[in-house]
Amino acid sequence: MDLHRYAFSSMGCPCAIQLEADDESVARTAAARAQAEVARLDEKYSHYRSDNWLARLCASAGSGRRVELDEEAANLVDFAAALHAQSAGRFDVTAGALTKLWDLQSGRIPAQAQIDAALARSGWHRVEWQRPYLCLPVAGMCIDFGGVVKEYAADRAAQICRKNGIAHGIVDLGGDLAAIGAHADGSAWLAGIKSPRNPADVHASIELDRGGLATSGDYERVMIVDGRRYSHIVDARTGWPMQSFASVSVLADSCLVAGAASTLAMLFGVERGADYLRELGLPWLAIDADGRTRGSIEAATT
Amino acid sequence: MPRPSTSLAALLTAAAALLPAAQTRAADSDEADTHASYRFSEYDEDALHGVVVGDPRRYRVLSQQLDIDTKLDGGAWGLKLDATHEVMSGSSPWYVTADANGRPVQVLSGATIRDRRNALSVSLTQNPGTSANTTYTASYSKENDYRATALGIERSQPLSAATTLGYGGSFSHDVIKPFQAQDYGRIERATKNTASVFSSLAWVLDRDSVLQAGVQINLSHGYLSDPYKLFVYGKFLTAERRPDQHVEAAGLVRYRRAYAQIDAALHLDYRYAQDSWGLTSHTVEASWYQGLGHGWRLVPGLRWYSQSAARFYAPFLAAPGGQRFYSSDYRLGTFGAFSTSINVRKAIGRWEFSLGAERYHSARGLALGGGGGTVPALVDFTRAWAGLDFGFD
Repeated sequence: MDLHRYAFSSMGCPCAIQLEADDESVARTAAARAQAEVARLDEKYSHYRSDNWLARLCASAGSGRRVELDEEAANLVDFAAALHAQSAGRFDVTAGALTKLWDLQSGRIPAQAQIDAALARSGWHRVEWQRPYLCLPVAGMCIDFGGVVKEYAADRAAQICRKNGIAHGIVDLGGDLAAIGAHADGSAWLAGIKSPRNPADVHASIELDRGGLATSGDYERVMIVDGRRYSHIVDARTGWPMQSFASVSVLADSCLVAGAASTLAMLFGVERGADYLRELGLPWLAIDADGRTRGSIEAATT
Repeated sequence: MPRPSTSLAALLTAAAALLPAAQTRAADSDEADTHASYRFSEYDEDALHGVVVGDPRRYRVLSQQLDIDTKLDGGAWGLKLDATHEVMSGSSPWYVTADANGRPVQVLSGATIRDRRNALSVSLTQNPGTSANTTYTASYSKENDYRATALGIERSQPLSAATTLGYGGSFSHDVIKPFQAQDYGRIERATKNTASVFSSLAWVLDRDSVLQAGVQINLSHGYLSDPYKLFVYGKFLTAERRPDQHVEAAGLVRYRRAYAQIDAALHLDYRYAQDSWGLTSHTVEASWYQGLGHGWRLVPGLRWYSQSAARFYAPFLAAPGGQRFYSSDYRLGTFGAFSTSINVRKAIGRWEFSLGAERYHSARGLALGGGGGTVPALVDFTRAWAGLDFGFD
């Protein structure tokens, strides 16, 4: 059986689908269909576009109008609501204004007044959500699926590969991984976790033969002002970035659940995040800002 | 751990709608789909001390319980079967009379009681593990002198991300056929019906704590006396008589708080009940769940209970005053009880073993206010149990 690799770019990340198949045309067809699914989700849920239903939803904010969501979008909203509840409000799908404010390329800390203004335009608890109707109460409020849709897309792509006759392979959407199945010889895929000090290095590798592996980290988007690190992991309750792990990786039955667990662990901060991961009982691996690892995964550190 | 944590269950449930296939794969994972558990327990009442007539050795119950909990239809339904087999023996308080100084003397039945109880309960839960679920329960219990058939329905439904409403009701029909009815002039056959309704609200206060408050109303109608108990009414010894209607209203508050950093949890419960027989009770219960690492868990618990007597409770009536209802059953007198328990659990892979014991002491002085008349035959008991739980696919 040969290994076929299909690389593409989607959701603002480098992506790859690796498949093992006897027949290259079967692999190519499966990869093309999976890639099309990722592109569909990117288009449907990207809030960087101004021409989709999400843009219309955001435009309706504060008008009192409610927008009817389709089944999939409603399921995503329910999932995001579950994360909001589980994180006691730290994760918030309406916190897009805060994410934009902490534009980490600028190298400047926003003024508290700006943070307050962004906080005034967010808050899931203020949203009227009566499935399938969503009503955003404040002008300028929007829904940002950034925290969940990439992981969901990885799971969907893996499902589509399986439906198209692939039993061995892995989907990688910018570091969020969904296994289609172990290597044909039964061995697991090895996922490299980047080093927080030098993202070009592999710090540890984790075996993955089923389900998903997701990593949340701050080292790819971090700014340092006056010696203090500001990550893009923003606590939606305060509007300020969290001092947390450099990265958290979680293994679960799906990339979606793995991603939720790693994101929430980051949002809880180091001590509480570790408690949360232990309580979940999923295999995890976290790296501190100074490079120490901990967790239940026995990773081969390099 | 044999079951997913509540946080993980919440994530899996929310993900299941998006990724229906993920749920099937979850069934292949380490999380067991079916749990079987077995528990053996021994309940032993202390021999009566003080002024008694008859065999002072009291009730002893050996109980075995088998539970099977599984998922049907790809996880859409949960099925639970619960079978119990019990053997009871010993003597029980029969009636109270007065000694030469007018002090109450408890007369116990001879050690004639020897009965078995077999019970089966089946419950089906729709959408188990989610916050919107419905459980239907049917149960049947049979002893030689008692049969009970019950049906119940219970629903839980989230009102918001942090609030869940629960409500339900049950109905039970019981048939009593006392032993040796003709020899002792007991009622030969009697029935009673009980209906219960309850409602509760649970609030997730924060990630670590949940508060629940609820109310319950129980209505009973029919033969509510104990057919084996007699009563000294002046110079007569007659069957005790209780009203044939009973209404109880109860309110309860439960608080659960997790201390994740030390792998512990606190459970605090309070229940208040008042009934149409004039009986008022308070129950306060606290337990601490402490993880000790390597699958060990220790659960110490304390419970305090206090009740005021039913209006028609009296050890005996020396001079009859025309009362319609009378009972000397200590369970209707004023008393308080204090119980301490300890439970040790150890998980090894998909097995979990548990061992536990409880010591229960009741006394008039433990009641709120400590007042009331003499209540002979208050019970003290020890209960010990051992169990194991096994999860498989």
